[in-house]
Amino acid sequence: MDSNTVIKKETKNKIRVDYEGKLSVKDRLLAKVKASNTWIKAGVNVLRFILMLGVSYVILYPFISKIAGSFMTKEDVIDSTVSLIPKHPTIEIYKYIIVENHYLQALLNTLLLSLICALLQTFIACLIGYGLAKFKFKGNKITMGIVVLTMIIPHSTLKLALLQHFSNFDLFQVLAWNYKGPIELIFGKPLALDNSYWPLIILSVFGLAFKNGLYIYLMRQFFKGVPDELEESSYVDGAGVFRTFFQIILPLAVPMMITVFLFSFSWQWTDEFYTTLFFFSDADKIYLMPDICKVPPSLETEYAGKTIYYNVIQNTAGMMVIMPLIILYVFCQRFLVQGIERSGLTG
Amino acid sequence: MEKTLKISKKHRASLTERRARAGYFFVAPFILGIVLIYIPILLDSIWFSFNRLDNNNFVDGVLTPVFKPVGLEYYKYALFENENFVTNMFAGLQQLIFEVPAVIIFSLFIAVVLNQKMLGRAAFRAIFFVPVIISTGLMETINSQDIVSGSMEGGIDDGTGQSATSQIISVLDVEKLFENMKVGAQLVAYVVNIVNNVYNIINYSGVQMLIFLAGLQSISPAIYEACRIDGATGWETFWKITFPMISPMILVNTVYTVINAFTRSTNKAMQFIAQHYTGNHYQATAMSWIYFVVVILIIAAVGGIISSFIFYQRKD
Repeated sequence: MDSNTVIKKETKNKIRVDYEGKLSVKDRLLAKVKASNTWIKAGVNVLRFILMLGVSYVILYPFISKIAGSFMTKEDVIDSTVSLIPKHPTIEIYKYIIVENHYLQALLNTLLLSLICALLQTFIACLIGYGLAKFKFKGNKITMGIVVLTMIIPHSTLKLALLQHFSNFDLFQVLAWNYKGPIELIFGKPLALDNSYWPLIILSVFGLAFKNGLYIYLMRQFFKGVPDELEESSYVDGAGVFRTFFQIILPLAVPMMITVFLFSFSWQWTDEFYTTLFFFSDADKIYLMPDICKVPPSLETEYAGKTIYYNVIQNTAGMMVIMPLIILYVFCQRFLVQGIERSGLTG
Repeated sequence: MEKTLKISKKHRASLTERRARAGYFFVAPFILGIVLIYIPILLDSIWFSFNRLDNNNFVDGVLTPVFKPVGLEYYKYALFENENFVTNMFAGLQQLIFEVPAVIIFSLFIAVVLNQKMLGRAAFRAIFFVPVIISTGLMETINSQDIVSGSMEGGIDDGTGQSATSQIISVLDVEKLFENMKVGAQLVAYVVNIVNNVYNIINYSGVQMLIFLAGLQSISPAIYEACRIDGATGWETFWKITFPMISPMILVNTVYTVINAFTRSTNKAMQFIAQHYTGNHYQATAMSWIYFVVVILIIAAVGGIISSFIFYQRKD
């Protein structure tokens, strides 16, 4: 480095230096403007920005009226002169949902449940995906077929059977063949797992929960794209299969893992099917997100615009359900920003 | 001498066998879950479709519901007696041909754009995450029951209850534009259909977009650097590097889009089955099984076609 070079500012990605003969800011800008591709680049940037703005508008459009409605009183809701800006702004809908619908309890319970399920599902999907992608064993393709099969059959069509199996939980218990499963033999009766987190945890551990087929498939496709040389060099260096998996392969998969985590977390968070299926009992009520989407008792009304007002309340509850998720995503996407450097791939 | 003989007698696992054993270990949770939990649930569900719950069965004067076998009755009903079922099943197929390419191309495009450096990228990424949340579960229910949003904006209500979002671009304009360009009528119909459904297409491609984004993130920047040094243009880099590297994700996304199109609750066939769930649960189970067999066949065909175009970074 030249002795005249002075480092003015240094960050992780950029370094700004001062050296002899450096053009002034004015000259540099002028050169940039004169360069032929500057205008094309600027044009592309503007177009890209407008396009993104347009698509974002389409996505956010339905939320405008939902946010507006959430601050309205019931008089405003049916007032035809009120379109988006409420005449009597109020936060009573938020207040009563938090106080009377046990919002905070629901938030904590859902956070716990979603976190457990999402972590389990992400890890299990990595394990299974890696096994399917990189190892040759008998039944590999059949297992892959079953993974796709679990994607195809939605759990809502298995509703009755699911409830049946988890309220009388036993291993390999089929209704048609009346016999005692291993759990019944040990404990005397099958376990009643409804009204607890266990059904969802069990489904997560075995990679059978909501859309887990997608996660497994995703991880498998990703690991298939990882070159075999990486593992081979790791084996040559003396690492075993598991050490290679945890220290070499998993760090590569961080963007995929975060994506899977985000999917499983947010889908568990907004889940309605499993929570209403397994948490139906009113005794020892475990409040979860579907419980806050009811009309709070204090807001019940016999008013003329009742249906519309209840709809507004439900929309508000929906907003309160997804708000924490958006905040989570803003935090998580920091990890998604930078492409990771894959060592040993360039040679 | 004796010693070496002993060792050679004892079978030592070969490398392939040890690799296979490790493979079994990795997929063990899934196989266990399938055998211990999933297959019993499936068998029960299949069994329901051959049986009828008899609620009027009394044993010693006590009401004890029992299942009575009905054989293929429900399947016969679904396939031959109920005309609407087959029609509804194939109505979904038509929608699929239109939807899948649109969703895949759109989501890949958006993912590529979101992967570039641009103003407000973090905000846009957060916004594009919204469709993922609102497309399932609780939010789907809330949105489907929502009657307020459309009327509150003071937009023109065309009586169909659709919100004004679906009419951002006038379809007539697009049709006129294409007529002047003298392209085929089918292409016009296709584009008009997409424009009409722009809101749905965007909302269906949230998941695919995030998957593509993660796929793009895992391409090593070193490869792009090498490309730039060799003087490749952006266009070349996309087709020679990005596209092959992302192709495994294209397979996942296509399969997922097809499955999602078939099994989401707004699909005509699924709606038809859901209606039957409230009536005769066991009949609906039979219908779903017929439907899933059809879906499986389609997925196998689609997957087979796309697999042949995929590039994996491996030696064999």
